[in-house]
Amino acid sequence: MKRRVVNGSIMASLTAVMVVLWAMLASVPKSSAIPAFSRKYQTSCTTCHNNYPELNDFGEAFKKNGFKFPKDDETFVKEPPVLLGSKAQKEAFPGAVYPGEIPGSVPVAFRYSGNFNYNSKQPSPSNLGFLPRTDLFVPNTFTIIGAGSFGPTLSFWVDNDISAGGADAAAGLGDGYLKFNDLGHAIGLPKDTLNLRMGQFELDLPITQARTINLTPYDVYSQASMATVGTACPAPTPTASQPPCTTNNPLQFGIPQRGIEIGGYPNDGNFTWSLAVVDGSNNTAALRNYKDVYVRVSQRFNLERDPESRNAVQAAGPTGPRDHTSIRFGAFYYYGRNALNMDGSLFPGFGTVHEPFYRAGGDFRFKYRHFELYGVGMYGHDQNLLPNTVTGTGFVRTSPVTFTGGFAQAQYWIYPWAMALMRYDFVDSPTDFSNGISRNNTRNRFSPGFQFLVRANIKVAFEYQHRWERPVTLSNGNTIFFHPNGIVSGIDYVF
Amino acid sequence: MSLPGIAVKAGVAASITLALAGANWANEIKGKVSVQGIKSAENIAVYVDVIADKKFDAPKDHVVVDQKKMAFIPHVVAVQQGTTVEFLNSDPVGHNVYWPSISGNKKLSHNLGTWPKGEKKPFQFNDIGTASLLCNVHPEMSGYVVVVPTPYFAVTDKEGNFEIKNVPAGKYTLKTWSEDGKPTTQAVDVSAAAATVELTVKK
Repeated sequence: MKRRVVNGSIMASLTAVMVVLWAMLASVPKSSAIPAFSRKYQTSCTTCHNNYPELNDFGEAFKKNGFKFPKDDETFVKEPPVLLGSKAQKEAFPGAVYPGEIPGSVPVAFRYSGNFNYNSKQPSPSNLGFLPRTDLFVPNTFTIIGAGSFGPTLSFWVDNDISAGGADAAAGLGDGYLKFNDLGHAIGLPKDTLNLRMGQFELDLPITQARTINLTPYDVYSQASMATVGTACPAPTPTASQPPCTTNNPLQFGIPQRGIEIGGYPNDGNFTWSLAVVDGSNNTAALRNYKDVYVRVSQRFNLERDPESRNAVQAAGPTGPRDHTSIRFGAFYYYGRNALNMDGSLFPGFGTVHEPFYRAGGDFRFKYRHFELYGVGMYGHDQNLLPNTVTGTGFVRTSPVTFTGGFAQAQYWIYPWAMALMRYDFVDSPTDFSNGISRNNTRNRFSPGFQFLVRANIKVAFEYQHRWERPVTLSNGNTIFFHPNGIVSGIDYVF
Repeated sequence: MSLPGIAVKAGVAASITLALAGANWANEIKGKVSVQGIKSAENIAVYVDVIADKKFDAPKDHVVVDQKKMAFIPHVVAVQQGTTVEFLNSDPVGHNVYWPSISGNKKLSHNLGTWPKGEKKPFQFNDIGTASLLCNVHPEMSGYVVVVPTPYFAVTDKEGNFEIKNVPAGKYTLKTWSEDGKPTTQAVDVSAAAATVELTVKK
């Protein structure tokens, strides 16, 4: 078995990295169920969610239709919108402002979530610092959510964590976008073939992070590409055996980005596509002039035998409507060019380093009655350039920073209010191993859990995490390995 | 006509008149339900309880309960034992109708499944009691089928008024069922053409 002894100064750096990583994980924005829609339609959360915030088939159709019922929306609205111009005003356009509407009452909802954490006993004294065995309601997040439609083809969404963490702590905007629905209708395309979304939003991820039911984010979505910390860059002619050291790409897949996205979901949502141009810098200001590109396609195969049921928004089951028995396959690709040394401080005398990177992967999702199984596999590749100190100009390629990762999750409804789930996360990252974050190249965890809907809008969740071993440096200088396992339980309610 | 003949005819006529008077099918029970601690006197079922030695055939006419705009319409329907209720789905969304029990008897629970817009699904209610209609994807939807033993029943309007027609003369026990109140029992004497009853339902 490979072992690595890490010196104290490097471990101090790594500890800082881990703290930053933890803070980032804790602040991953969460979207939510929307009680504002419950009020508007006088209906329960369960119309759109089996287990909020995850959407069921009806909720997906509702969202894709611009936060409107898939059919005859007006007949279900119990709270009529305020018209910003009569419908007939369309005829006066462009001589008048095009008519729109706003929700009849302020479409605001709130969500609170707080976790109780139980951590395995840490080796002490060590370089890890203090981590309490138990911690009450951390992260402690209060979120305000506004969403709705501005008319037949315009919808909007804003969610903001007003606070996360301790008292009065501020977090930030999750999603905030405006969406033009079914633009293709005007040029004769099939329904929902072309939509336009702009603002800040979660990428069209194969499995959503923002609306996950899990208490902790998917590890691979939180993976950033970072070269070995604290190692001098080899010069002048690096070889494949030398460690990478310039790559420092903060991109995390699961965090919303600012950008513009076109996409569609024709054929009743069985086929989906999206193409987004984004900043690549998540919540911070743009760190480079280049924009990143993300593309995703997926195809669902509806396995319902009854044709009528297959074409309905939800399948007709013997005991009521339910999600279709189906399997979806998808693929995605993200490309960008990270920029370093823009101020010349990293490599004095050299220009800006442009390091191309990409993420590529595939996914599947299978639904059968009370059972659901889904997973994502992803490969990350960051080019790693070093200054050519022989010639004094330009950069040469060296070993790229790569990782492979993914997750698989199985869920089963024991009752309509009780769910058991098992999740497996893995990230295979030689760089993380070099950085001493994991004992081996591959770090993984098993996360079995239970979730209970106390009410349709109140949830109690439990998750046990059996994690990979990580190295710890004791105060006597010895390095040991331990599993940072833990239990997370959370309360969550929306109103 | 001879005098004896006239006397015979008069006697027959008198007998028919008396017989009709003894079986007066035009009587009715009118009344008003007041409530205490309950929001509304609407949708309270009022019915004549079991009449000893009297059995009624199941009605041939079906009763329709609609699912429209994500609500059961009517919210409360009273039916005679043996009535077939047809559940219609008028919504373009999938619905489901089930009841977890009839008056607490979980053995009588039933799930009718799902059916598309415009279609009906029938069910014959042979057990006396109240079925709480639910939809398992829209839990805010609720309705009630109150199955009563006689054809003499009514459901109150917004003011709590009710009217039970075609009740034969006699002495009966009047009962109520309401969503939020306790059952009420009251004796009623339907000897006049119309008996007026005041009932109070308490939470």
